[in-house]
Amino acid sequence: MELTIPLIILALGAAFGLRKPEISLVTALVALALSIVVEAAILVSAMIAFVAILNIAALFLMKKSYLRGVDYALVSLMLIATVVALYSTSFAMLILAFILVSTPTYMLVMASESGAKVDVGVKYITFMVVATILFIIGAALTIYGGSVNSESIQTVGICLLVLGIAMEVGAAPLHYWVPDVFDTADPIPASIIASLAKFVPFVIAFKILFTVNTEKALLFIGVIAAISMLAGNIGALTSNKPARILAYSTVANMGYIIAALTVFYKPEFVYLAFAGVLLQLFANAFGKIGFFTAIREEGTNSVFSYIMALSFIGLPPLLGFWGKFYILAALIYANVMWLAVLLVINSAMSVPYYIRLANLLSGKPNKGLALCIIGISAIIMLLTVVPPNWLIDSSKVLVGYFKLGGV
Amino acid sequence: MWLWLVLLLSPIIASIPIAVAWEFNRNIGRKLPVLSVVGLFISFLVTLYILLFVEEGRFSYPWLPGIEIAFIVDYLSKYMGVLTGFIAFVIGVYGLEYMKDDYRLGWYWFFFNLFTASMLMVVYSDNLLSLLIGWEGLGIASWGLIGHWFRDDDELSYVGVINRKVGFLKMFWSPSTGGWRAISTIRLGDMPMFFAVAAIFAFAGNLNISQIDWELLIEKIGSFGVAVLLLAFLMGPFTKSAQLPFSEWLMTAMTGPTTVSALLHSATMVAAGTYLFMRISWYIEPWKIHDAGIEFIYLLVLFLGLISSLYGALVALASRERKVLLAASTMSSLGLMFAAAAASKWIGEFAIVVAFWYLITHAFAKATLFLVAGHLIHETHDRFLCGDLEVAKKMKLTFIVTIIATVMLAGIPPLTAYWVKSAMDEVMHALYEVGKAPLFLLIVISAIYSAFLAKFLSMNFVKGRHVHLHLHGGGLMKTGYTLMVSMLFLLLAVILLGIDEHVEEFVKAGFNVTSFMVGVLVTVAYAIGFVKPTLETKVGQVLADRFYLMALNDFIVPKIGYAFVTAVDYGNRAIDFFTHRAIPGLFESVSKGIRVLQTGRLSHYVQLALGALMLLLIVVSVAGW
Repeated sequence: MELTIPLIILALGAAFGLRKPEISLVTALVALALSIVVEAAILVSAMIAFVAILNIAALFLMKKSYLRGVDYALVSLMLIATVVALYSTSFAMLILAFILVSTPTYMLVMASESGAKVDVGVKYITFMVVATILFIIGAALTIYGGSVNSESIQTVGICLLVLGIAMEVGAAPLHYWVPDVFDTADPIPASIIASLAKFVPFVIAFKILFTVNTEKALLFIGVIAAISMLAGNIGALTSNKPARILAYSTVANMGYIIAALTVFYKPEFVYLAFAGVLLQLFANAFGKIGFFTAIREEGTNSVFSYIMALSFIGLPPLLGFWGKFYILAALIYANVMWLAVLLVINSAMSVPYYIRLANLLSGKPNKGLALCIIGISAIIMLLTVVPPNWLIDSSKVLVGYFKLGGV
Repeated sequence: MWLWLVLLLSPIIASIPIAVAWEFNRNIGRKLPVLSVVGLFISFLVTLYILLFVEEGRFSYPWLPGIEIAFIVDYLSKYMGVLTGFIAFVIGVYGLEYMKDDYRLGWYWFFFNLFTASMLMVVYSDNLLSLLIGWEGLGIASWGLIGHWFRDDDELSYVGVINRKVGFLKMFWSPSTGGWRAISTIRLGDMPMFFAVAAIFAFAGNLNISQIDWELLIEKIGSFGVAVLLLAFLMGPFTKSAQLPFSEWLMTAMTGPTTVSALLHSATMVAAGTYLFMRISWYIEPWKIHDAGIEFIYLLVLFLGLISSLYGALVALASRERKVLLAASTMSSLGLMFAAAAASKWIGEFAIVVAFWYLITHAFAKATLFLVAGHLIHETHDRFLCGDLEVAKKMKLTFIVTIIATVMLAGIPPLTAYWVKSAMDEVMHALYEVGKAPLFLLIVISAIYSAFLAKFLSMNFVKGRHVHLHLHGGGLMKTGYTLMVSMLFLLLAVILLGIDEHVEEFVKAGFNVTSFMVGVLVTVAYAIGFVKPTLETKVGQVLADRFYLMALNDFIVPKIGYAFVTAVDYGNRAIDFFTHRAIPGLFESVSKGIRVLQTGRLSHYVQLALGALMLLLIVVSVAGW
């Protein structure tokens, strides 16, 4: 209920913003600031807020947009929903957060400097609607199956839930929209879809799976993760367009994160898996923002592009390394060896295309805001030069909110 | 400590100036060989000092944990050291003239002196690991020296008749081939030897030859284990001393300069193998150990030595080349040394003493003969046996030296080798447990040996075809072999005057009737060989072609190697194919397959997604997850 005030401010700001975008921006930032101070693990909220700020900053790069004024509010709304998802233990609130994160992107994806891109929107929305339905049905069935003690209902529920997530975030084999949308949409909205929109589905999935705590469908989740890693990495190997490479990179990264979901039935290691998921999502988000901005600017300087590429590859001590490392550690503790091995092999496989991506986007100096956004995205990869113990602590706190308390 | 450093380092240090100077300024380089010889002379003086003034005993210095650098002065090493030092020095003097117009003097003198220092290391080392350093030095130096004339441009340095072929075998060898055959054969034996040394350290915990507890070793790894271990260890001596079937490299080692052959065949390299066998036998004391494994090994060495000796004698008898004849005769002598030393299992220490004295006698005589051969090759420009009485007349001193060396080495009573051979007869005669075969073989070998020495004399100075002589210089060379041959008189004096503790037995054996009969037989053989040095027969041709044993080195082993190479090549290609073609190709096609799905048509995507969805759900329900 602490979020009511930011939501009201946001709604007012958005309404005024259609006339004067500056008002919308101010109210969005205020709402954003109010939302992150509400609960305990403030560092995680702050990091997510930072992603949102970078998203908003990136929107400035677009000279004009049919959404100008509302778009800031939409990003801010997504952030609020994400924070809600982190702290809420109510099933209904989680579903609401899911929808609140999903729907703003329907509009954002069509934004471009030359009017609304309806064809991209149609492709994206079609998939998102199916994904949302699958996800909600799956989530409801899982919880329901738990309450009536029906394992078969629960299993079907988990499968639908995972498939919903797969389609929502773009994991193989339901990833078909990703390369098209990432390639044809404007890079800035694509970067928002690839960064801020990814947190909520996984947080909710973790909470639901943690609550029912069954070993059913474990293998199914693992198989989806494996397919997604392999399809993403192999697909990226022969892609030559930067946006396509990033699309397949998203598919692969979603595979790594889904792999971490398999740890849910071992409550003692969930905090580790969740810390890995958060770090991986951060690495993915900052990297995607940086690279998409670079695509828009037709390049960046090679230091930044290589730092981001190496972080994606998982070179210590960059951000991407710690994400994969925690996920790997959790998988090994939970004794899901085959997936751990696959993850390592896939990381190795990803080296060529990330280096190629860094090469493709190197060698052009940026100026002003673009330089700031790309530079911050790259420099933040160095955040983990000191091992991120703070995140482990935050993760332990957040796992305390995992058990759902009812509707 | 300083003594050993001076002994081992003075030849090497003295040869470094020429090795370096030769690369920059040949005029300076041509003046420096004398310095190298001075280094050899210092070593010789040190060995003399050790013989005369150093008490027998061990001198050890810390090295690695559990392993020390240890030198030993005992009956074997003090004589062997002087022998090596003296022969190397004299040959060095000879080489000053023989090699003076050579095109790689830096290389030659560096390796020559390294060769000597390595041999001294082997001679005095008590520790097997420090011995191996010298052992390997011998290997590398022999490769460098045998292949010294690496340009292969002088027919005089080849072995065999140029362009002659028998079937698929090329019957001539260049210096570079000779060097390669030497090093490859030796390495083949060295490798099992390394493992054996490691095994000795692992099981006995000690690498000092004089301290290894063989009884303990037998207790630990059993008779069979000891037999395997000793066999592996002896692979080193067998290959270095060119016993069957590793003899081919010795024959083609004649492609090196004659000085090298002389050194290689008398006091170093080949002698190192037999010397090492004597040395370890001296301390194993096999006559005190009753063990089937040890007995088997000594029996094996006895007969391998005798058969190699017979082979070498037959090849030498039929050989037409000066140096190859001498090489084969060396192999024959080495066989006898092995056999006599192996007889110690049944006879005791005395057998080793006999073998060792034979080594010394043989070293001086063989070095003399090689130096003579080198001089003859220089004067006649021909490496085949040739020369009539004119040669004898014009090179009187050479002729006389050759007569003395051959007569003394053949074992004609009452000259030097006769007494040693008599003792050997006695040793072989006393092998009741083994049978009569060793004695019989020894007598046959002795007769043949005597005959081919006579042939060498006769074909070079009396009955060979007429040659044109190019007489010039030769002063230093003559000094060299005269000095060398004079040592045989010294040995004779030592034996007859009983200066050494062990030689009284030799004299006693020499007055034995049987020994005298053998002496007469040898004399008759010498006479026959002198009067009728040639006999053209098919059998003779086979002997001259060394029983076609080169097929092993030049045909069978390369074929095996080629099979290995082919197999490796296929493996290599398979790896290349998988890593460069198959796997990338697979990934590429899968990747294209994934990307081809992106047609851009929404209906297509929805079909795919829903299809995948249904498929997964069906799989889940069928599999019952």
